[in-house]
Amino acid sequence: MAALASSSSSSSLLFTTPPSKLPSPSSLCPFPRLSLPISSFLSSPLSISPSSLPYPTTSTRCFASFTVRAAAAADKKKVLIVNTNSGGHAVIGFYFAKELLGSGHEVTVMTVGDEGSDKMKKPPFNRLSEITSAGGKTLWGDPANVGNVVAGTSFDVVLDNNGKDLDTVRPVVDWAKSSGVKQLLFISSAGIYKPTDEPPHVEGDVVKADAGHVGVEKYIAEVFISWAIFRPQYMIGSGNNKDCEEWFFDRIVRNRPVPIPGSGMQLTNIAHVRDLSSMLTLAVEKPEAASSNIFNCVSDHAVTLDGMARLCAEAAGLPVEIVHYDPKAVGIDAKKAFPFRNMHFYAEPRAAKDILGWEGTTNLPEDLKERFEEYVKVGRDKKPMKFEIDDKILEALKVPVAV
Amino acid sequence: MRGCGCNQGCGVDGRCLILIVCCKTLEMTNKTYHSTKPKEKAKAWQSWWCCSQQSSLSSPSSPPLSPTSMAPSSPKSRQFTSSGLDRGSLSYKRKVCHPKGALHVVAASGTKKTLIMGGTRFIGVFLSRLLVKEGHQVTLFTRGKAPVTQQLPGESDSDYSDFKSEILHLKGDRQDFEFVKSSLSAEGYDVVYDINGREAAEVEPILDALPNLEQFIYCSSAGVYLKSDILPHCEVDAVDPKSRHKGKLNTESLLEARGVNWTSLRPVYIYGPLNYNPVEEWFFHRLKAGRPIPIPNSGVQITQLGHVKDLATAFVQVLGNEKASKQVFNISGEKYVTFDGLAKACAKAGGFPEPEIIHYNPKEFDFGKKKAFPFRDQHFFASVEKAKHVLGWKPEFDLVEGLADSYNLDFGRGTYRKEADFTTDDMILNKSFALQS
Repeated sequence: MAALASSSSSSSLLFTTPPSKLPSPSSLCPFPRLSLPISSFLSSPLSISPSSLPYPTTSTRCFASFTVRAAAAADKKKVLIVNTNSGGHAVIGFYFAKELLGSGHEVTVMTVGDEGSDKMKKPPFNRLSEITSAGGKTLWGDPANVGNVVAGTSFDVVLDNNGKDLDTVRPVVDWAKSSGVKQLLFISSAGIYKPTDEPPHVEGDVVKADAGHVGVEKYIAEVFISWAIFRPQYMIGSGNNKDCEEWFFDRIVRNRPVPIPGSGMQLTNIAHVRDLSSMLTLAVEKPEAASSNIFNCVSDHAVTLDGMARLCAEAAGLPVEIVHYDPKAVGIDAKKAFPFRNMHFYAEPRAAKDILGWEGTTNLPEDLKERFEEYVKVGRDKKPMKFEIDDKILEALKVPVAV
Repeated sequence: MRGCGCNQGCGVDGRCLILIVCCKTLEMTNKTYHSTKPKEKAKAWQSWWCCSQQSSLSSPSSPPLSPTSMAPSSPKSRQFTSSGLDRGSLSYKRKVCHPKGALHVVAASGTKKTLIMGGTRFIGVFLSRLLVKEGHQVTLFTRGKAPVTQQLPGESDSDYSDFKSEILHLKGDRQDFEFVKSSLSAEGYDVVYDINGREAAEVEPILDALPNLEQFIYCSSAGVYLKSDILPHCEVDAVDPKSRHKGKLNTESLLEARGVNWTSLRPVYIYGPLNYNPVEEWFFHRLKAGRPIPIPNSGVQITQLGHVKDLATAFVQVLGNEKASKQVFNISGEKYVTFDGLAKACAKAGGFPEPEIIHYNPKEFDFGKKKAFPFRDQHFFASVEKAKHVLGWKPEFDLVEGLADSYNLDFGRGTYRKEADFTTDDMILNKSFALQS
């Protein structure tokens, strides 16, 4: 086998991704073939004896399954999660911490800011005891000062779930590198993909050069050897810091029309956060496979905006009235009026499936039922609410509202 | 270990099964390696090319033919290129030895006596060529209304005559079930490709006639999926027993019930040269006429096109493939496209300027029996990840490339199936004009 491995020149001929699809830097390649020249040759003989493979034939999968066998008895990792203190991504760190702890890894969650701040009163921060009672550590501090905050503890893996721009993330990356962290994971965003007429966004597609996350992704790829980048979209799940399905429930339980901009046919991707967490965990447990890869951190299905409204209504067991409008014509900012992008925004998790053997479990009809149960349990259905922007839209469209 | 033991001094490392297979092929054709017959020479060269690529060792003897014409393909190598099917044959053969499971299994399992139901119009035209190149015996079952073979645009005379000399024809009407049963029974076939079947009843006599059938490969349709807010359609998703394509569903159920080794492929919208469904042709007519493209509603509806050659490749890759046994696979392009995006892609492919797109509300019109737009007015796309993971299949064409291939080999040469009919366009444009003025 060694003789074969040295002849890596023909490895490029075995793969057919057109070069134009590779993003810059060229190391941000969705498949590990550049970093693992052996894989193409291991794949050839491996794929010849189909009985020896649980999966068929793509070479990257061969390598992934090969690594898994080696990593089955993997050592437990010491993981640091630098977690944002607000916004849609906060819940990712929460679930990831719990999953790692459940798998026997050591976890420290460093939340940005002060333990005493008002932000800590909101979920998931008001539930961090679930981390400590499972054996995890929780700290607070400034990411620019991370080395001191963790007081000299060494880690195998760092997940930065706090960065929109290089200024914020660079100190964490630099500290991780200098303190001997082996693997750096970064939560970026699928929002950096350039809009396209040909969905879905797949890893390797062109991104907006001026997006803050892009600068971070490039820096990490330059500085670290074992890195993986995750680009999420929207998520649901208990402990979410930002409204997602709740926006629909608020209107449905109050018998209010649901105003959706545009045609309502726009596709989006709404994942249960456990899918994101499982993808991150796989990256920790299969570091060689994950290395130097970008992963769309999303569910494996799209839903239309109208479809999401309908599914929320079904989960609630209530009817729904959807009303479409043109934000410009009504004179409102769609970003303020509606929690999802007013365009197709749909990425698929192909790299995670191909490279990590990840499988999606998000099942919106079922998951939303569970979400609605919690929505009612916390009494949000009875909470008095104002719908000023909605009213402006409905007024413009002359749609009556039940009082 | 040097040499695969073929005693021909080929110098190919024989540890890999593929190499052994290729070498055996080489062994068989070694006598004809220096043959003057171009076909045998090409075959021998193909085998050599296969082996040398796997081993990455240089062959002790240089190939008799110019390497530039059969150069290692760029990532965009095509089985059938716009520049000619003859070039494509070698990059195709390279794919045969590519370690992607099915194809080398085919080489190992030997030639099959294959029947294609249909095969003279679109999918079968490409599929039959691939099968013949693979060395299978291929019979086309048709009524003979269309010529059994036709030279494809860009296909060399010698390639076409080779193909024509190999292909067999069984003339008959598949609706005559008795004839189907008796004629197939008399011939006996190893494998049947049913690419024009619509109803389960049409398949019964085939199964009755061939009790030892090794595999029944069916061209179904993604049209069987139940419409959903959650997409893409995956093979496990709910199907619609009331759909227009329920005959396809019934056929799949029949195959399962009869216990035959079946494989079913579900394409979405197929496109490519010789397409008789006016998919890309519909756009090309309007672009050529310099007319605006009328698209219903928002234009953000998402559809999916799959190139016919990629579909043909998939059909070959499931042949004799254990992993395809009793499995359904969606086969189409890797990316989807909006209606508006498709109009722009067709323009790009044909070298036309960016089109003017007019959106309209179809409810405001009565088009009678005419179709104002060739696609269903809804999202309609399917995931091809199962075929990619299980079969190692991957589409060669992306959308603009595939549309360019279709344009360059068909519409762009002045050929098309349906005359342009702008009646519904004019209804839409007149109303739109009236509203503006």
